[in-house]
Amino acid sequence: MVRFTVKLNVVLFSSLLMMFFLTSAPAAQETGEAGEGVSEAVLKLGKRVYEVRCLVCHGEEGDGNSFVKVIRRSELSGRIIETYPRDFTVGVFRFRSTPTGCLPTTEDLIKIVDRGVPRSFMPPHEKSLSLEERKAVVEYIKTFSERWEEEEPCDPIEVKKPDWVGSEISVQKGKKVYKDMKCWECHGYEGKGDGPKADKLKDDWGKQIWPFNFVTGELKRGSSPENVYITFTTGLDGTGMPSYEDSLSEEDRWHLVSYTLKLMGLVK
Amino acid sequence: MLSRFYLSLLLLSGLVFIAFITLATYRELTPEWKKYQAEYREMLIKNAKDEAAREKARRIKIEQQQIYLAGLKRVDRCMNCHIGVDNPLMADAKVPFKQHSGDYLKNHPPDKFGCTICHNGQGRATNKKEAHGKGRDTHWDFPILPFKYIQNSCAQCHDYETLRHKGGEMVVKGERLFREKGCKGCHKVNGIGGDLGKALDGIGSQPIAYFPMRHVVGEQTTYNWLKQHYLDPRAIVPDSEMRVFLTEEESDLLTTYILTFRTTEVPREYRRIRYVPERRVDGESLYKMYCIACHSTGKVSVYDEILKRTIPAIMNPAFLKNADDGTLRKIIKEGRKGTQMTAWKSTAAGLTDGEINKLIRYITRERPDEAAEPFGFAEFKTDPKHGKELYDVRCALCHGEKGKGGKGALGINLTNPVVQKELDPEFLARTVRDGRSGTPMPPFGEEGLGLSDQDIADIVSYVRTLAQKK
Repeated sequence: MVRFTVKLNVVLFSSLLMMFFLTSAPAAQETGEAGEGVSEAVLKLGKRVYEVRCLVCHGEEGDGNSFVKVIRRSELSGRIIETYPRDFTVGVFRFRSTPTGCLPTTEDLIKIVDRGVPRSFMPPHEKSLSLEERKAVVEYIKTFSERWEEEEPCDPIEVKKPDWVGSEISVQKGKKVYKDMKCWECHGYEGKGDGPKADKLKDDWGKQIWPFNFVTGELKRGSSPENVYITFTTGLDGTGMPSYEDSLSEEDRWHLVSYTLKLMGLVK
Repeated sequence: MLSRFYLSLLLLSGLVFIAFITLATYRELTPEWKKYQAEYREMLIKNAKDEAAREKARRIKIEQQQIYLAGLKRVDRCMNCHIGVDNPLMADAKVPFKQHSGDYLKNHPPDKFGCTICHNGQGRATNKKEAHGKGRDTHWDFPILPFKYIQNSCAQCHDYETLRHKGGEMVVKGERLFREKGCKGCHKVNGIGGDLGKALDGIGSQPIAYFPMRHVVGEQTTYNWLKQHYLDPRAIVPDSEMRVFLTEEESDLLTTYILTFRTTEVPREYRRIRYVPERRVDGESLYKMYCIACHSTGKVSVYDEILKRTIPAIMNPAFLKNADDGTLRKIIKEGRKGTQMTAWKSTAAGLTDGEINKLIRYITRERPDEAAEPFGFAEFKTDPKHGKELYDVRCALCHGEKGKGGKGALGINLTNPVVQKELDPEFLARTVRDGRSGTPMPPFGEEGLGLSDQDIADIVSYVRTLAQKK
């Protein structure tokens, strides 16, 4: 009886070991090659995942012009917002950790595939795809734009949140920055996305876009203070939201974060 | 010692009591209306043209003015203060002496109509605050109506044809808004209408306590509640699902109209309603009355943050091409349980079959000539298990793993009884194959995302088991 269990253990252990090697092998291979291009196998897997999951919106050519074309969302105020699937052929991405004008890092893209984009109907794939598949599909997406061959992504911006973010003084200072930097021109005096210029904004593709209404909903990138800060610092490339990395000090940007959190009702 | 203390206490309380009685008597003897009437008499004496008129004015008694209206069951004492209301000499006087504006009193003499039948307020009261009935501490449910809402009272006795060209434009415009903004899509009136909102019968006669006044800005009155609720429903009722987008002016007009829904009826001798035959209602009017609040133009599908689901495009050619009249009739009659779509059959929301037919004719007026290519669902031997595998990868992202759609999901709810039982699987299969151009639903067939007909039949067979899963 004892011998039988030992035997069983050995079998189980070795099969576990084998599974471990089998699953980790492609990942190791991929990280090894990340610098000088991606293997055919990864791209093939990426293509397969892309065709099942992404093609329906982003299209065969990655230009965002596919079956879905546009998604309309009616806000609480009755304002209808049209969202177009991202066009990968230009290589311009909104949600990056890198300075404005740069390509995003691979991790940035994987993050978006993982958690989706709230309010735009990009679904999260963290549970429905394995990490290997998600990595592969990101590599495949990179093949749509030549930018990925010509440029290297810049280094990500470091984010260190000071303790005083969200304090009352910081909110007041942020309010002044909000006024001085004319954030209200687009986002409105109360942050409702209804400023005087709000209905005249176009993105790089010539489609109408609307400034964020802080009072409703979650930020597309997630509403944590760090994410708000990184938005101010990197800007949202392709939209009217510029980067304030040069025009505002780091401290002022954090004050602005405090005020934004206040508008969103996340601090008192 | 002690007795002296009690004696002074008695004396003091006696004094206080006498002072109180004196004050009360004084107040009762000099109410504000006496001052106004004295002032009015002075004005008449001063402005009298000749001695006879002056003498006549001098003889005016200062006394309680009261109109007793047996037919209306009202007693109005408003003319205690508004004493010059029927005096042409008072055309330019200040309030409360001013003459009534317009020539309304010519056809509505105060001694027959009184005041509160049109203006609301508390007719029996003899001071301003209580007569106007403003503020919660007056405990009066129908405070005096502001000028902008006054026309709702006209509709008690007059029909809309008369009001249209005889000074009732506001309530007529309000009635039009009510018809064209789709209020009855959710609210029942006379038993006809959707069931998402409250029935509106008698809403104008409801006591203030009927309305959740907590978030109302300013005076807590029915008309303020209604207006602010049209401007931002969720500011007044936080979990409201009302889809109403009106300008400030439109809100006032609609408020005027909604206040005409009363439980009280004035006696017949007062009413001047001409019974004009009811207008023939066409499909377009029906669509506006019952459907437009959610489906708006019906050309594009929109994810709605208020209803927290996607509102389908029911006038989209791609949908009409696939859905025949029978399918539409089933959907309209049975509604979509599990969503906000009401069952419109005569035993539920109260539309007759004739009206539903008119609606269908209106909705399908732009149906393409060529019908959708048949799918032949019945010929396939389906495998729901394989369907589930495909569903989980292809469909679940939008329709949800359990097919419930709803919050944050782009796809519609697939688990309602109409999709599950009533609709022909052929219709579902064609929808999956051809998609719905103009909506986010893509074509999954061979010309689209490349699924074979067998795959699609499997998916449809799985979809039709979704409701059985809990």
